[in-house]
Amino acid sequence: MDSIIILFIAGLIGLFAGMSKKPVASILIASFGLIGAGLAAYYRGSYTSPFSTYAAYVPTQGMVIILLCAVTLLAILGGFKRYKSDDEHTGDYLGLILFSLCGAILMAQPNDLMLFFIGLEILSIPIYVLVGIDKGSSTSAEAAVKYFFTGSFASAIILFGIALLYGATGSFQLIEIQSNLAIGIWQSPMAMIGSLFLLAGFTFKIGAVPFHFWGPDVYDGASNAVLMYMATVVKIAGIYALVNVFGQVFRDSYFFWIDLVSLLIVASLFYGYITAWKQTSFRRLIAYSSIANAGLMLFALADIHNSNLFLFVAAYAVATIALVAINSVINDDSDAIANWEGIAWKNPLLGIALVLALFSLSGIPPLAGFFGKFSLLWSAVPHVPYTAMLALIASVIGAFVYLRLLLLALKKPSVTVSVKLSLEQIIVLMLTSVASIGAIYFI
Amino acid sequence: MALILLPLIFSLLAWFIPSAFTRLFGLLATGMTLAWSIVAVCYFQPEEQILIDFGLRFVRFSIDSLGFTMILLTNAVLFLVFLSNFTGKLVNDNKFASLALLMQFGLLGVFTTNTILGFYIFWELTLLPIFLILYWFGSFEKPRALLQFFLYTLLGSLAMLFAVIGLMHATNQQTYEALLVADINALGNTSIWLMGGFLFAFAVKIPLFPFHTWQAETYTKAPVAGTMLLSAIMLKMALFGLLKWVLPIFDGVATDFWRWPIITLGLIGVVYGAVIAIRQSDIKTLFAYASLSHLGLIAAALMLNDYHTNQIAVVQIVNHSIVSIGLFLAAGIIEQRLGTRKLSELGGLAKIAPRFGFWFAVLTFVSLSVPFTAGFIGEFFLIKALFSANALTGFVASTTLVLGAVYMLRAYQVPMFGPSKFSSFQDLHWSEITVFAILSIAAIYFGLAPQCLTDFVAHSLTQPTH
Repeated sequence: MDSIIILFIAGLIGLFAGMSKKPVASILIASFGLIGAGLAAYYRGSYTSPFSTYAAYVPTQGMVIILLCAVTLLAILGGFKRYKSDDEHTGDYLGLILFSLCGAILMAQPNDLMLFFIGLEILSIPIYVLVGIDKGSSTSAEAAVKYFFTGSFASAIILFGIALLYGATGSFQLIEIQSNLAIGIWQSPMAMIGSLFLLAGFTFKIGAVPFHFWGPDVYDGASNAVLMYMATVVKIAGIYALVNVFGQVFRDSYFFWIDLVSLLIVASLFYGYITAWKQTSFRRLIAYSSIANAGLMLFALADIHNSNLFLFVAAYAVATIALVAINSVINDDSDAIANWEGIAWKNPLLGIALVLALFSLSGIPPLAGFFGKFSLLWSAVPHVPYTAMLALIASVIGAFVYLRLLLLALKKPSVTVSVKLSLEQIIVLMLTSVASIGAIYFI
Repeated sequence: MALILLPLIFSLLAWFIPSAFTRLFGLLATGMTLAWSIVAVCYFQPEEQILIDFGLRFVRFSIDSLGFTMILLTNAVLFLVFLSNFTGKLVNDNKFASLALLMQFGLLGVFTTNTILGFYIFWELTLLPIFLILYWFGSFEKPRALLQFFLYTLLGSLAMLFAVIGLMHATNQQTYEALLVADINALGNTSIWLMGGFLFAFAVKIPLFPFHTWQAETYTKAPVAGTMLLSAIMLKMALFGLLKWVLPIFDGVATDFWRWPIITLGLIGVVYGAVIAIRQSDIKTLFAYASLSHLGLIAAALMLNDYHTNQIAVVQIVNHSIVSIGLFLAAGIIEQRLGTRKLSELGGLAKIAPRFGFWFAVLTFVSLSVPFTAGFIGEFFLIKALFSANALTGFVASTTLVLGAVYMLRAYQVPMFGPSKFSSFQDLHWSEITVFAILSIAAIYFGLAPQCLTDFVAHSLTQPTH
């Protein structure tokens, strides 16, 4: 609760500070807000919160809040160049992102479906605005409209699912729903259809097959700066909400939906990686890669008691932010993958961060991506062995996708034009590199 | 501890060394690790183990006598790679120095780790530097062949990862000692599948017959130093994994199931590699197929899982490293000075470069396994073991001696003798002579006194239970 309040206040101050047209002041306020929210989550329990009596909200796990705040911090630092160039709107960008993060924290570990839904909407609505914030560009407007319509469609599906569950069990509280379902109500058609609607809505939000189709267009239309936030925080919050709702509520109908989830995993992985292969636009490649990674995240559902999701989503978020940040350094206008040729030679830090991020996404040890994938599969293998086997085969195709990009970036150019990084870009790339290597200490 | 971490530290340092000193730095760094490991082995009791723990949950180290042998081999190979390329352009590049040292770190990790997941992690870690070395310094016109190499090995590795996860789940153990005593046979068919996952990864890496397609092209297109690293030490990871991990752990149902399939594939590789090598016109491709032939024999003999054969297999592993460094160095020398590797364009080199003629001849004889070299001990006893298992396999295995003579003598005779096709050929540099001399002395030493090696490793090889 304290984290959300700190974030909200920081977002508010940032919004008004933006009017002074001093981008540095805005980013400092937002960064301190994020760090403060992370610290509040870390030290939670060691002090008495003035809001501890607010009963409807059971606080999200500290680690998840810290992860969300850290990822958002990386995202706003990585996108700062963009916000700065548009100093009329710097405050709007940062304020919207912080408000959206409040929703992400609220929804990540719900104990009440109504509160969860409110969190979901608080998360989504600022992002609709952020995608379309570049008013001059028609692709941006198209993406915003597309995202808004599909997103509200998904919200409606989730709401319908919640309504059906309420009809079946008579409660919004997850604990009550679970205890009602456990006595056999889960077999009633209403509860079953409700759970499927929820699954469909969640799949939509995290962008897994078959509800992935909005992803590439929206990612392509959004700017790099917004993409950094959108491709990571939304997915993390969505998958945590999914795991918690399904892990808490639908435990008893596990064998009813796990085959369906396995199908979604395999379809997402193969569809995402195979279509990513021939992309020529970088943000579309990231979109397809994120579809495949959403499929991998769904493995968390296979073992609902011990999902081991944290390391994987952290590794995915860090590597994706590093790649999009690199893309925004060299390639902010045209977004063609062909522009990546030889960029590793333009700046040593750029090269190192790029190699680490791509190898991490391909899942090569000893980088974070491998440990994430390993711990995810570790708990999933006893439950869904064949799906895990197919996932490993798919990740070879995935490695192909990332290596293609890597080989392009490492190609030695005849003339090297060096690129200078700004301070916040150096910080982002250093942090992502350190995080990719340092994951070995968290397993 | 320093034994393992030293290469990593040097690898990071290499980025800060000015390029004028890089080759000296590489030589000193690898020389220092080699010296350190020689000193360490002097204080090492073969019956004991050195345990190293960095406080990581899944990665711990313990060095036994087999591990020490492989450490010495790794450090020696790295030193020789830097020394033999002393005149080349490659070692002046600090990217190469750093990556080679990183690879050395990964290899030492593979050979010393005590946990099955650690084995996988280091196994994959070695793939990263060799991939970049091949990409930056190789002559791959199109990345297709390189990607084939990488993805092929990655597919094998992922099969192994699946088997590792399965093994850890099935036995609830992760350290080598605990896995040894775990009752794998009780798993029945599952153990066969798990062992299959490991064997697939190894078969791609060694490589065994139907999985070898990446090998020839990668070896040919790689820089000489890359080929040396690949064939002299990286492929040994698979044989080491077979010898140290898979065979003792899966001793029983699974090994009995896979024994004859693997022996058959290995022996097909022996004959197939040799026959293809005879027909090659490119000297580097010829040596690549020769390597396929030699390694097939070792893999086949290892599958017998016989205590004494395993000791000899270690001798043959060391011998193959010696031979492959020597032969690929010779091929590299020819390519570097003449710009061609085609046998038909070569001839008469012995006359204008007598020192090269002499040392190349010595290495050819080592490769031919003439008596008093390590190869003779190795091949003779491996073939003998295959004979006693089955006369037919023994017969097929022994063709390696005859066919080997055909392609090796051709590979030596065509470039060295006959009418001279070149007017000038710069004879060996002192660094190259040193490498050849070290290799020859080692080969002859292990040929005369193989028991120093076999007795040393015997302490860490498990006695067969059946």
